[in-house]
Amino acid sequence: MGSDVPTLLEIQTAMRRGLLDNTTVVDTLGDVLAPADRLSIYRNTSRTALTNALRLNFPAVRRLVGEDFFAAAADTFITREPPHTAWLDPYGQGFPEFLRSFEPARSLVYLPDVARLERVVGNALHAPDAEPLEYLQLVGVEPSVQGRLSFTPHPSVSLVLSPYPVDAIWRAVPARDDAALATIDLSAGAVRLLVERRAGEIEVTRIDERQWKFAKALFTGHSLSAALAVADHPDATTWLAAHLAAGHLSDFALSNTESLVVAGHAQ
Amino acid sequence: MFRATDRCSSPIPAKAGIGLRFQHHQVVLDTRPDLAWMEVHTENYMGGGSPICCLEAIRRDIPISLHGVGLSLGSAEGLDPVHLDRIRQVAERIEPDLMSEHIAWSVNGGTYLADLLPLPMTEEALAVVCRHVDQVQSTLRRKILVENPSTYMQFRHSTIPEWEFMAAVAARTGCGILCDVNNIYVSAKNHGWNPLAYLAALPPDAIGEIHLAGHSVRQLADGNTLRIDDHASRVIGEVWWLYQAALRRFGPVPTLIEWDQNVPPLDVLVEEARHADALIDVASYGVRRADAA
Repeated sequence: MGSDVPTLLEIQTAMRRGLLDNTTVVDTLGDVLAPADRLSIYRNTSRTALTNALRLNFPAVRRLVGEDFFAAAADTFITREPPHTAWLDPYGQGFPEFLRSFEPARSLVYLPDVARLERVVGNALHAPDAEPLEYLQLVGVEPSVQGRLSFTPHPSVSLVLSPYPVDAIWRAVPARDDAALATIDLSAGAVRLLVERRAGEIEVTRIDERQWKFAKALFTGHSLSAALAVADHPDATTWLAAHLAAGHLSDFALSNTESLVVAGHAQ
Repeated sequence: MFRATDRCSSPIPAKAGIGLRFQHHQVVLDTRPDLAWMEVHTENYMGGGSPICCLEAIRRDIPISLHGVGLSLGSAEGLDPVHLDRIRQVAERIEPDLMSEHIAWSVNGGTYLADLLPLPMTEEALAVVCRHVDQVQSTLRRKILVENPSTYMQFRHSTIPEWEFMAAVAARTGCGILCDVNNIYVSAKNHGWNPLAYLAALPPDAIGEIHLAGHSVRQLADGNTLRIDDHASRVIGEVWWLYQAALRRFGPVPTLIEWDQNVPPLDVLVEEARHADALIDVASYGVRRADAA
């Protein structure tokens, strides 16, 4: 291809750089592209669409920091981690970590964790639909091999551990519940959360440390006997029944060995 | 397999429909407005959970068109097979009566740029688009419509007028054309084209749908004025006039009112649709008279 007629790929690569880096397009293509202010119309549309996607995905973070701060953070993040696909519901998986290193947000120590909870909530909202595992499907499993059962969690189910009461913040901020916000004690200790989608609605539930460890082992594919060993609690089989009843599990398998992990490793 | 002469045999009638947005899901389910059909952006219904579940419920009563905004038919590097598969999955659940995409690109180097970016009108771009339309139609096992863009810049090395590019894509792939009358008006104003000549160059048999929308006017630093296709207001008078010209040339065609920014109450969209319906009725009357003569 001659130097005066760029290929389609050369044009698209130059325009991508021009749109993302907030600079005009590379010099070599300057004479075949329009003036910068025409390109800036596309840049504005692109930035607005991606900022709006982040706004929708992180409403509590946005309210906590305000519109201007959020827009500035989003602008830097979009340049650093633009999306790979036009399905924007999952966009911003890296936003919580980005906020951790975003200097202007340093004083809001809990902000990255609120963002992480919002990302998990968003993932739960848009997770694929899946039939829950029914208790009856397990009836045929011989009691002698039950310890070798391992489970697949429902795609919408996740666990979150945070040193801050992020669930309380996440509830109070979008509701503009200043009274609730005022009573939140950041030093009250860690929270362990189970996030799920039930009948289309998101539920975020606090669970205790042993329940959380049991669920973590169960949801990450460890055998039932390993999960029970990690939990080390007489009620653990009841917790399994509760997970089944709530539709937190969608499939099961029988592993070949009795225990895939030594107790205590599934943390 | 897909011939341009196979006029879209969709059950979507030659009437006006509206773009369905999340704000109106509940009111549509509660009030069941008397609308012939609705169109949604495919990308808003990917994944599981309530959005697609809600659309399935609406779809039981109202024919649905899936309008993709991110497949990037014009990408030099090829289509994203994962995204195409997500579109296929939405189509399997919704069983849409029409499916459409844009003559534009939005993905380069694995990055989605979140806008419908302009293509140079070259033989290379035409070949790329046609290859991708073929790929989409064989993956989805159906004919799609491709929409003419609104553009704010032209490439100096373009060799094919946009209207010829549109007609060539339809002729080579057998796809249909989604004629966005507002886009024709916007681009014609921005680039000094004759919008009626544009309409006259499109093959009537390939037209499967018309889009109507509002746009805004912006002043550039160099003193020029640009029309911006922002879907944020009512259809303007000149575009209604161009729409009538389109109906005269193409006959009655399913027509969509698009409104994506500052979305108004559902009643306003229905009002715009009623206006389009009245103009379709006039055009249908003209067709019947011509048939009778």
